[in-house]
Amino acid sequence: MNRIARLSAAASIFAVAAGTAMPAFAAGTTAGSTITNNVTVNFQVGGVSQTSVSASNSFTVDRKVNFTVDEDGSSTTQVSPGQLAAVTSFIVTNTSNAPLDFALAAANRVGGTAAHGGTDNFDVSNLRMYQDTNNNGAYDSGVDALITYLDQVAADASLRVFVLADVPLGRSTNDVAGVRLTGTAAEATAAGSLGAIVTQTAGANTAGVDTVFADTIAGGNTARDGIHFDEDDYTVLAASLTATKTSRVISDPLNGTTNPKLIPGAVVEYCITVANAAGSAAATGVAISDTLPAATTYESTFGVLVNGTVTGVTCNADGPLAGSHAAGVVSGTIPSVPPGGTRTVLFRVTIN
Amino acid sequence: MKLFLTLLAFLLPSAALAQNQVALTSEVLVERTTTDASGVARVSLEAPGVVTPGDRLVFVLSYRNNGTAPASDFVVSNPIPDSVSFDGAESPGAVYSIDGGRTWGALAALSVRNADGSSRPATLADVNSVQWRLAQPISAGSGGELRFRGIVK
Repeated sequence: MNRIARLSAAASIFAVAAGTAMPAFAAGTTAGSTITNNVTVNFQVGGVSQTSVSASNSFTVDRKVNFTVDEDGSSTTQVSPGQLAAVTSFIVTNTSNAPLDFALAAANRVGGTAAHGGTDNFDVSNLRMYQDTNNNGAYDSGVDALITYLDQVAADASLRVFVLADVPLGRSTNDVAGVRLTGTAAEATAAGSLGAIVTQTAGANTAGVDTVFADTIAGGNTARDGIHFDEDDYTVLAASLTATKTSRVISDPLNGTTNPKLIPGAVVEYCITVANAAGSAAATGVAISDTLPAATTYESTFGVLVNGTVTGVTCNADGPLAGSHAAGVVSGTIPSVPPGGTRTVLFRVTIN
Repeated sequence: MKLFLTLLAFLLPSAALAQNQVALTSEVLVERTTTDASGVARVSLEAPGVVTPGDRLVFVLSYRNNGTAPASDFVVSNPIPDSVSFDGAESPGAVYSIDGGRTWGALAALSVRNADGSSRPATLADVNSVQWRLAQPISAGSGGELRFRGIVK
């Protein structure tokens, strides 16, 4: 014991070297490795040291197939109706002790509660998958490769997969479409092609490398089936526009602007208001066209004021002269209607 | 004839006897926990059939003195295989080494130097050799068993 205490100070000197000599792998000892245990006995007989006796035994480490598919991030992907190539991203991690290919499939969720709490009530279309080839965390069109599987994923390696989809027109704010990315373990037999789907070694242990599925139930998965999935979702943020048309008499030839009446020769102002509901997406490029009523004449000296504002119920004549009139139709395009905002198109006619 | 061999044994104490004086075997078992239908967990030790990272191992070292004289200063040394993380000695009296057997001590007496120069107490995972020094001589014909645990890295 005295000797032990004396030498313990020296122990730490070697500790660093010993630590680096034994690399720790999260995925574990590589499948097919042999673990050999060696034991030695030193002893004396009759006070004389004898030749030491050694024994050893070995076993082979089998292949533990384990991996995860996880959503990259923790929030929904906000989309507009009609948006093309809306991106969700996932991370596929090989926690097996051997390299694997992974067959991939992207699919719409069918109803129920989607990944971020909303109710899945529509499907996106044209689902396709891309690998984050340049590993920058963002989908790069023309750079990231369109894939149907991940090739030769090393033990402990993680790869990002983007799922792209097109959003149909006509969806409303807070509509949700869930998507699921499913990975299936496949043999990393050859680079550039998807290997056969991995199967567990059936029956008794064999002398060679056996395969054991170790994937878990995390995220609603089935344990030990060599398949793992996760879901993400798209949430629609649409513009919610309401158009209203109002009119008021500005003047008539007899009363002027004091209590004018709708008699021939009177000037009438039309106001088309476009309101966007609060909590919606901003609507841009809102094109308005309005056919003049019969028996009226467009008031060209006033013009068409576009992008004006409203105070209470009164349309303000504060927009620029950005509209046009042709063949009895007034047109104007409002650049942007913010959520909760109202913009107008304003013009005047004379009663014939 | 038997008498002659015995005489010979006395005449040639060390070298001639060493070959068969002590029999030693190393065996490894895998600890499996199974839950039966009633939800009771059952732990069993099995031969190392399917072994994957994370599996718990029990190494069983068996020794026997096949000689005719007691074996004293009996020291059993077992380096932990590289792919196994040491998880404790089941048999009492073990001493440990974290430097490949250069120095030995109780776990509490060993410390690991950190990269920044400070040191911390050694843990089971730092141990890379285990040793038992048996105080009593092993009498002729008797033997025993020593066990330690590991986890497949």
